[in-house]
Amino acid sequence: MTPDTLAGGDQPVLVFRDVVKVYPLPAGDVTALDRVSFTVDRGEFISIMGPSGSGKSTLLNLMGCLDTPTSGDIFIGGTRIGDMSDVELTNLRRDHIGFIFQYFNLFPLLNVIENVNFPQMLKSGAAVDEKKAVAVLRAVRLDEHLYVHTPLELSGGQQQRVAIARALINDPDILLCDEPTGNLDSKTGASIMELMADLNRNGTTIIVVTHDPSVASYTRRTIRIVDGRIES
Amino acid sequence: MSTIFWEISKRNIRIHMLRSSLAMLGIIIGVVAIASMGILGNSMVQAVSASLSSVGDSVIVMPYVGGGNAFGGHSGTSSANMYLTEQNYQQIKRVVAPNLAVPVHTTSEHMKMGVGSDDIVATIYGLPPDQTKNILPDLTAGDYNNGNSGCLVGATFATDHNVKVGSRISVGPDGQYGTLRVTGIIKERGMSLDISTDNAIVVTQDWFENTYNDQYQYNEVVVKVTSGDTATVKTTVENQLNRNIRDKTVTVIDSKATLATIMETFGMITTFVTAIGGISMLVAGVSIFNIMMMSVNERIKEIGIMRSIGTQKKEVMSMFIYEAAIIGVAGSVIGGVLSLVGGYAISALLLKTTQYLFTLPSMLSVVEGIGFGIIICILCGLYPAWQAANLNPIDALRHE
Repeated sequence: MTPDTLAGGDQPVLVFRDVVKVYPLPAGDVTALDRVSFTVDRGEFISIMGPSGSGKSTLLNLMGCLDTPTSGDIFIGGTRIGDMSDVELTNLRRDHIGFIFQYFNLFPLLNVIENVNFPQMLKSGAAVDEKKAVAVLRAVRLDEHLYVHTPLELSGGQQQRVAIARALINDPDILLCDEPTGNLDSKTGASIMELMADLNRNGTTIIVVTHDPSVASYTRRTIRIVDGRIES
Repeated sequence: MSTIFWEISKRNIRIHMLRSSLAMLGIIIGVVAIASMGILGNSMVQAVSASLSSVGDSVIVMPYVGGGNAFGGHSGTSSANMYLTEQNYQQIKRVVAPNLAVPVHTTSEHMKMGVGSDDIVATIYGLPPDQTKNILPDLTAGDYNNGNSGCLVGATFATDHNVKVGSRISVGPDGQYGTLRVTGIIKERGMSLDISTDNAIVVTQDWFENTYNDQYQYNEVVVKVTSGDTATVKTTVENQLNRNIRDKTVTVIDSKATLATIMETFGMITTFVTAIGGISMLVAGVSIFNIMMMSVNERIKEIGIMRSIGTQKKEVMSMFIYEAAIIGVAGSVIGGVLSLVGGYAISALLLKTTQYLFTLPSMLSVVEGIGFGIIICILCGLYPAWQAANLNPIDALRHE
């Protein structure tokens, strides 16, 4: 039986070990990931690239604890996620993973500061550290006068900065980005990638799933995936 | 309560104000319907119980007049049973002891209050003077009548015909049965099953028997039950006097049971009209369900984002339940206030009185209406909330 935690003090933040994901469909099973193994160490800046249908989204869902593997083991922060309940997986996402989406996905009913505070409120119940929200918003270089605006009043680049701030607020082990510049013009996209590079230099572990080579160029390691298998 | 989800629910209602208001309107109508109908029903019950006297514990024994001779099978039963005989009375008196049995004569008669006044027809009761006190309510004026030339009059009779203690009433067509002097006014007792004195006069048994020459023929015997319960007394009298099942002597009415049946009937009417109001509440519930489903469908992607960044299922569920509860509480409270207006209008129109509006049963109807409204809203929000909470986060995130 596989242990539920990895041994050792300075464990990798993410370990995939022989991970297989099969989707049972009426027309026959589809193997989206086939014995995928890799390790992400703390402080890494990784891009995962591959063509459409290669298994990128499946990989992203598994890394984000939105799904569990058919077989194999995934360890996040040293903890195995295979047999976790929905409540445990949700807490793991809240406390250890920061999500950044292509379409920013901010809550339109909440203003900037409330959006950033949202994961903090989930973690603490109701009390939030307002100073921390201001600190992360400063870190993503968002103008202070925008803090009380709603997402729809912001540009795409500004929204993505807010989304990054929201992802950082609970000090996650990994920042998981799904095509973070896919909905931005090239100049704004570049500034977002520079911001991520800065965050990584300050110690944040970042994994970017993309098919854009210019995005991958900001990262220090690229994992290529084709037909559910890692090529390099 | 998680502040952020409460806040999101409030804001979602606010940005969909028209939709939320319409759903709220449904609940308002439902609560008004239930509470107004409840107020009407309860006011009706209270109005009836106020007009029924507190005869409470009496058993009325009357001659048996039903069946037997319909097709000439047993002729004579009807005429034989027009009255209770002295023998019947003595038998009743014996079997109900130690309870008091009072023989009652009654008839309708012409009477005049004075020269020039209109001739009216009213009920006359003939009671033994020594037992009058025991079966009548207190007097509001004057004294009990011990002489044959005196009478007592009911409260309504006294008011309607301007009769006071000392007034004279001439009895019979053209006053042929003589004149009676009013010695006392009987306190109002309301509609009753044994003796309804409010619109009648009460004379002595002797005067009645001498005047109408029907000594030892009683219209009814009233048993005041002070020992044991009315049901037992009723059964005892029936067992003793109706031994021959095919030729019954008496009909026995248990006033307590009859009153209970009347009140029960009005209670059922109240329940029925309230249930009609309940139908509108169910319709309102369906509209709440509908807008909650719409709310969930519009926010599938938002739910997916929430779940992906660490929101628990129960927290997603709470957000939608808060939304249903806000609509439910606001709609129900507004409905509760409006139902007082509705109850006032219905009571004034149908019962011609609003004195029963601010009574405990009526207020309870309002509270029940409000409670029912809130419960219906929350129940109708449960399934959409559960559905939202159980969306697959991956599918929800992909939803466009």
